Amino acid sequence: MSSSVLQVACGLAFVALAAGLAWRLQLGLSREILIAAARAIVQLTAVGALIALVFKYDLLAIAFVAGMVTTAAVTSGGRIKGIPQARARAIAAIGIPAVGAAGILIGVGAFAATPEAAIPTAGILIGGAMTACTLTGRRLLEGLTADEDVIEARLSLGDRIRTALAPTVRQAIKTGLVPAIDQTRNVGIVTLPGTFVGLVLGGASPAEAARIQLTVLLTLLAVELLAATAIAELIVRTRIAPGERLREDVADVRR
Amino acid sequence: MKGGIEVRDLTMRRGDRVVLRDVSFVVPRGKVLALVGASGAGKSTLLRCLNRLAEPESGTIELDGDDIRHVAPELLRRRVALVAQAPAMLPGSVEENLAYALDVLRAETRDAALAAAGLDASFLPRPAKALSGGERARVALARALTREPDAILLDEPTAALDPETARVIAQTVAALAQRELAVILATHDHALAESVSDATLRL
Repeated sequence: MSSSVLQVACGLAFVALAAGLAWRLQLGLSREILIAAARAIVQLTAVGALIALVFKYDLLAIAFVAGMVTTAAVTSGGRIKGIPQARARAIAAIGIPAVGAAGILIGVGAFAATPEAAIPTAGILIGGAMTACTLTGRRLLEGLTADEDVIEARLSLGDRIRTALAPTVRQAIKTGLVPAIDQTRNVGIVTLPGTFVGLVLGGASPAEAARIQLTVLLTLLAVELLAATAIAELIVRTRIAPGERLREDVADVRR
Repeated sequence: MKGGIEVRDLTMRRGDRVVLRDVSFVVPRGKVLALVGASGAGKSTLLRCLNRLAEPESGTIELDGDDIRHVAPELLRRRVALVAQAPAMLPGSVEENLAYALDVLRAETRDAALAAAGLDASFLPRPAKALSGGERARVALARALTREPDAILLDEPTAALDPETARVIAQTVAALAQRELAVILATHDHALAESVSDATLRL
């Protein structure tokens, strides 16, 4: 068996193990794991075939980044159920900070203004923003339901609606930032992130790879915080009614 | 009317269902009105309209002669204090709960509120979330009174309480009116309604 076939076979074996374990533990995730793995295979194969073309034409690179934002928003928006136009809100929360930060990094010369530099940089920032958006959004929606009595108690005691919602919103944003903070805190000790590994494998010196990785990681912290804050704000707006109160269809329907 | 709450032709709808239809009543200061009705009759919804946690479809509500829509909601809710059926305790001690959202809580206001709710100062340092149901009900009442409201709305104040605690709460409700508050009590307990109220409105 050739080494490349063995590599793929090992990966598939681990996916089968994960799906089997999820089934055994009755987590209801087996199908999702298998679909995610199948998507990864198809997507990476397609990217492998397309990337040379994308690196050659700037317009294609821009379309590729737009596709990344859209896919991230569809994924994240699908996880944030219960708000209108979840995917459109996720596009704004993910795309504006991630693409904006990538543009700033390229604009100030931190990275070359080439598709080879822009696409991986934007990809890392979009991926981080997507994680923060999903975690924050889900935690916030759970919190708004679980804390409804407390929020109304705060309103009844004379808080304005934004003040009454603030503890729930803050907790959700904190949850959304946990992966980014842990990743940054443990980089080089627990994890060697993709940018670093890719650059070293591509022939860059470890020092240069570390410098570029550091730039991406530090930017990622801000991007994820902005994405988390943005999705929290976009969700909160769907829950507030005129008159400093929760929307009736949220708070009152169960009464 | 020398002051209090006046409701005229209040109608509230949820989807196709009419929850409240043309409800009208007056509760002068110093009087207790009991809203009586089965579960789902709209008692809680009516109380929530009175402090604008819910907005009616039509009708007017006045507090001391002023349309409540012309009062800032956060100020209205201090003047028309709502004690929910299962009151949520906020993080921290009982004392922190009593002082919540107040710039200053004077000791005499705090102690008077505690006494009116049948509590004493030994409760102040206790973690609010660790209190029993009856203690929570009383702390929620004291917390509402620290706003020094003009009216107080009590949603099923004796539900899920043991008979002794329910009796104390009932006495407290009757005593509240003596403080020149307009008191509105929502209950499905007819005996409680008859024992403490000056008037009853069936929903």
